[in-house]
Amino acid sequence: MKLKRPSFIVKKNAHLNYVLFGVALCLVPLLIELGLLRNSYLTLVGSVIIYSVAAIGLNLLLGWSGLISLGTAGFMGLAAYISAYATVNLKLPFEIAVLLALSIPLAVGILVGLVSLKIEGLYLAIATLSVSEILRKSFEEFGDITNGFSGKTASYPKLLGFFQLDKYGTYILLVVVLVGVMILIHNMINGQMGRALNAMRGSEAAAQAMGVHLLKYRLVAFALATSLAALSGILYIHFIKYTYPPTWTLGMSLNILSAIIIGGVRNIYGTILGVFVVFAVPDLFLKQIPYFGAMPGFAYIVNGILIIVVIMYYPYGLIYLGNDMKKLWGKVKAKVKP
Amino acid sequence: MSNLDLQEGLVLRLEELSISFGGLKAVDNLSFEIKEKEIFGLIGPNGAGKTTAFNCITQFYRPNHGKIFFRDKHGKVSNLIDHPVHEIIKLGLVRTFQNVELIRELSILDNVLIGAHIDFKSSLLAQALKTKKAKDEETKLRDEAIEVLTFLGIADRMLLPAGGQPYGILKKVELARTLMCHPKLIILDEPAAGLNDIETVNLAKVIRTIRDKYGCAVLLVEHDMRLVMDVCDKICAINFGKFLAVGSPKEIQRNKDVQAAYLGETEEDQ
Repeated sequence: MKLKRPSFIVKKNAHLNYVLFGVALCLVPLLIELGLLRNSYLTLVGSVIIYSVAAIGLNLLLGWSGLISLGTAGFMGLAAYISAYATVNLKLPFEIAVLLALSIPLAVGILVGLVSLKIEGLYLAIATLSVSEILRKSFEEFGDITNGFSGKTASYPKLLGFFQLDKYGTYILLVVVLVGVMILIHNMINGQMGRALNAMRGSEAAAQAMGVHLLKYRLVAFALATSLAALSGILYIHFIKYTYPPTWTLGMSLNILSAIIIGGVRNIYGTILGVFVVFAVPDLFLKQIPYFGAMPGFAYIVNGILIIVVIMYYPYGLIYLGNDMKKLWGKVKAKVKP
Repeated sequence: MSNLDLQEGLVLRLEELSISFGGLKAVDNLSFEIKEKEIFGLIGPNGAGKTTAFNCITQFYRPNHGKIFFRDKHGKVSNLIDHPVHEIIKLGLVRTFQNVELIRELSILDNVLIGAHIDFKSSLLAQALKTKKAKDEETKLRDEAIEVLTFLGIADRMLLPAGGQPYGILKKVELARTLMCHPKLIILDEPAAGLNDIETVNLAKVIRTIRDKYGCAVLLVEHDMRLVMDVCDKICAINFGKFLAVGSPKEIQRNKDVQAAYLGETEEDQ
């Protein structure tokens, strides 16, 4: 076993790094205006940000707590439809819609968690999978609210009732939310909560002996994951402005799951890297490959191979590739110098 | 529940404790008591029910019958069976595990800080926002953890991940974790298992120093008879879940029943 994991080094300026990361993301609209990037990249990077929010939540559950949920897509979709219905049909202010679209999925999530988390972790996967499928079917059937297969539209958010955001404004909002989520989750996992979750995953017996209430912390982790999935759904509907049921299938949940495994379990930047690999790389690069790029399932094949390779060689995710590169570079430099 | 009174000077009393798995009586009518600041050994051949008795005391198993009285940090006496497993540590009763139960990916310092889980008072929101109160609390407990690690002589490794450390170090980390909660009674499950001779001798010293410094009682299950005889003030021997004898190390060594249990009975004895 030669697994190296340097994550215990808590960087002092981690918060500043997150903000700088956000600033860098904000440069995308500027580069598009300058004509250096294609227009479609805004939607692409925006989607990566949106899915990253849900993926960070799922990583909290899968990576830190060792629980698996297969219902991410269902909760995302539920929040997206609620927010769309509240702003378009009910004409409620954006903020109220957000509140509704966060609290309803959270309530459903807590109910599911209470029932399934009392037993072992695996039951959460089964329960969330069923709930997610029920939700997806409901999106198809409750046409009055969801418009069925024709899909539901929504508009860019109007903040505080008068500040109407445009495409770029909404994109900046996405970045702000992502950076906020990164900082909050960073603080949580580096404190008592993170240690409790780690203890729970590492040894349930030790966690209990040290006073960690298992059901409570499983529920908290699951509630946080559900809230972030819902938040991600809200961002989705107000940035993409359109949704229909086939978006929120098990495939979406599995994609987010694979993003975490590919990018980095228990690593915030790794999660975002994984989302980029799973959701953006197919559009950016894979489709350019002659012959294979035209195959409809090609991205799935690449992801599948990637998961196997990552689990074999980088069990903590591709984000640790950077460390090895640095080491390699150090060796090369040492060889060149003398 | 009339006799919730625990005699002055006692920290723990087991009263007719029994638990069975299917038809097997793992612990059968076991009673013993531990004085404050006493180092108490529980011995017996393999499968005698020592670890099961431990798990009953710490509520990992729910005993079928019997009472376990414990005097907590504030001098209040309660029956441990009335508490769920995660509340036991709040009373000042903490344990280690036979096969070290640490979190490989976390640093040694963070592993020790898990032992301070119940001392964190700031809410999740305060932690997420990193308010001043939450920060101060973290710093204070971190300093305390470093102090404990220094006391055990492993502070130089505190930033290394627990996974991959030598077994002797891991045992000490587990000890350090128990000390974070200012215990009244520490339960050690085979602390010398896997240690070499020098480490075992050191362990005896450490156990005594912990007792003197923290003023707590220690209950240990151990196979290494040298350690048990060396460190314990009093020993209780059990076999097949049943009480055999209790007394000082010398008395236990001379006891016929204990000898029979360990060495097997001879025809003449019967």
